[in-house]
Amino acid sequence: MEIIEESQDKFGRKIYKIKKEDLLEFMRQKKNEGYYLSAITGVDMRSYIEVVYHIYNYDKNEYLEIKVDTEDSHVPSLTKLWKAADWDEREQYDLMGVIFDGHENLRRILLPDEWVGHPLRKDYDLKKVQYVSMDKEGNEHVSFDPNEGW
Amino acid sequence: MKTGDFGYQLTTVDKALEWARSNSLWPLTMGLACCAIEMMATQGSNLDIARFGSEIFRNSPRQADLMIVAGTTTKRMAPRVRRIYEEMPYPKYVIAMGVCVIQGGPYVDGYSVVLGVDKVIPVDVYVPGCPPSPQALTNGILLLQKKIRNETDR
Repeated sequence: MEIIEESQDKFGRKIYKIKKEDLLEFMRQKKNEGYYLSAITGVDMRSYIEVVYHIYNYDKNEYLEIKVDTEDSHVPSLTKLWKAADWDEREQYDLMGVIFDGHENLRRILLPDEWVGHPLRKDYDLKKVQYVSMDKEGNEHVSFDPNEGW
Repeated sequence: MKTGDFGYQLTTVDKALEWARSNSLWPLTMGLACCAIEMMATQGSNLDIARFGSEIFRNSPRQADLMIVAGTTTKRMAPRVRRIYEEMPYPKYVIAMGVCVIQGGPYVDGYSVVLGVDKVIPVDVYVPGCPPSPQALTNGILLLQKKIRNETDR
C-alpha cells in the first residue's frame, strides 16, 4: 500500500491520493483508527474520473480527503465498511456514472430509473432534453418527446 | 314571473358566493424548495395572512382551495404536483411563487427542472422574485381575491 501523493488544502486538511486497488485496505485501516465516512464526490477529468472520499474523526476533529483515480469508472464499494456509503455511492452512480463493485443495490437514487446518461459527466448532452411522466400505478417513464411528460 | 327577473337574484347569490370564497382561501402546503421559507414567513405572526382569510395551511389537498407552488419544480416532482392538484376539490386556484416556478429561473439551462409549472397545472397568479418577499406573496393572494370577485385591478 503506497500513497502516490500527499498534500494539504487551505484549511490544513490532508489530501491523500492512492491507487484504487489499495482503497479497501486503506479505508479499513482508517476505520479502525476511528474515522467515519462523511461524503463521497466525483470529479470528471474527461480522460478519467476522480472519486473523492471525505472521512472525519470525531476524537481528533480531523478531516481527511482520499482521492482515487479510475479510467474505466469502476471503484470498489465501501458499503461493507460503512453503511453510510450506500446512498452516497448510489448518488455518484446516478449523477457521475461511477460503478462501485460490490455494492448490492446500485440503482439510481435521484433520477428516474429509465433516465439516459449521467448528467454531471462532461460529455452529457444538455440539448437532448428528457421528460418524465407517471402512469396510474405510480411508475415513472422517461421520454425524449416533450408531449409525453413534463 | 318574467324571464330576467330571476337573473338579478342569481347574480347577487353569485356575488355573495364569490365574496365568501375569496375571503376564505385555505392554502395547501406545497413548499418544494427555498421559497417555502418565505411562504412560512407569510403565514407566521408578523405578516399573518389569516388577516385576509387564508386562515390555516392545510396538509391535505382535500381541505384546500389554493395551491401555492413555492419552489423549484423538478421533472420528477411535476407528476406529483399534477396529482395533488387533481385531488383538490373545486373551486381551486394556483399561485406560482418564485421565478423557478414561473419559467425555470437560474435552472433554465439545467437538466432536471420543469421550465414553468404552467405546463403542468393552470396558474392564476404569478408572483416573481427569487424568492418573493412575504409582502409580494400577500399581494399575490390579494390579487387572486380580486380575480375571484371579478374585480378589475386598475
